[in-house]
Amino acid sequence: MKKIISKLVVAAGLIVLSATAALAHSPLCSCFDNGDGTVLCEGGFSDGSSASGVKMFVRDDSGAVVLKGAMNEDSEFEFKKPAGHYTVTFDGGEGHSIEIDGSDIVE
Amino acid sequence: MKMKVVFLNLLLVVAMAVPASAHFQMIYTPEIAKNKGAETDVKLVFTHPFEAGHTMKMGMPEEFFMLHQKGEEGKIKKYDLKKLLKPITWTSLTNSGEAYEAKLPKKIVRSMGDYTLVLVPAPYYEGEEDIYIQQITKTYMNVGGLPGNWAAPAGLKTEWVPLVKPYAMWTGMTFKAQLLSDGKPVPNADVEVEYMNHEPDMKNNAFKKEEKAHAPHDAFVTMGVKTDAQGYVTFAIPKAGWWGFCALGSGPDKEFKGKELSQDAVIWIKAVDM
Repeated sequence: MKKIISKLVVAAGLIVLSATAALAHSPLCSCFDNGDGTVLCEGGFSDGSSASGVKMFVRDDSGAVVLKGAMNEDSEFEFKKPAGHYTVTFDGGEGHSIEIDGSDIVE
Repeated sequence: MKMKVVFLNLLLVVAMAVPASAHFQMIYTPEIAKNKGAETDVKLVFTHPFEAGHTMKMGMPEEFFMLHQKGEEGKIKKYDLKKLLKPITWTSLTNSGEAYEAKLPKKIVRSMGDYTLVLVPAPYYEGEEDIYIQQITKTYMNVGGLPGNWAAPAGLKTEWVPLVKPYAMWTGMTFKAQLLSDGKPVPNADVEVEYMNHEPDMKNNAFKKEEKAHAPHDAFVTMGVKTDAQGYVTFAIPKAGWWGFCALGSGPDKEFKGKELSQDAVIWIKAVDM
């Protein structure tokens, strides 16, 4: 019985720990216009962890997805700049997403 | 005649009462915690910062470079900044001295992450003491809040390695750093601490005349602390602004051109009010 309780305590502790870790960092994303028709976005988290694999979406004015991809192993995502107004979404999951307006993306 | 002697004595007393402020190599840029990367002006000045006192003539530095890391798992990139250096004349409250400036282009400071600025100056000949002084100096910048290599040694002959994010200090926080010489901790080292009491005027290459704090006693101009048995210092930051820590003679090189060399390690941090 004692063993079961201690296992449960350890399991509960692990859940609390992992939940804390997930909440303690904030998503970070910054995009630049490369000046050659492409845009480079880079991401990460405030605890220094990588954004590799985080989904990226580029949407047009109507909200339709025109491009999608993911942050590469260097936490970067490069794409061809769409015509007209657009937004970029760094989709790090619930509470960890950032939307950047294309008009804020400058050289 | 008597009056003359009294006057001369007075002069001597006044001369001796001039506070013994310390030499500090500065790497200065106004903002080190930046939300977005931007072209960055940096000034390299060898001076006495608390009093904005005598500014020494710097020679062309041996090295001036920047290490950048984007996230803790990112690769460290090294940028040589020496080619960007231009000589300037820096005006203190008492003289003018030769210093350097650099304009870091946006393309090398636009990414998120940590930037460590490292200066290895040319040894400076201090005539009064007949010694050379070389202050190997570090300061930091961050863009976008993504941490990187702020806690990593830069591999210098002697250096401070911070244990607290040096660009994210609130006033009142305790700064902690370890002093290294050839990568090994330096116990019981003498460390001088000074506050940058006169704000640098970036446009006019001068210190502003207004002081931010007034020292009630000479000992408060240059404070003294020592490293502990593992080479650590801790120092609570009492006021917003820039704080410099200089470990005297901590480096492995003890001689230059046949004379004694004091190879020091300097770090600059900045605190802001809540």
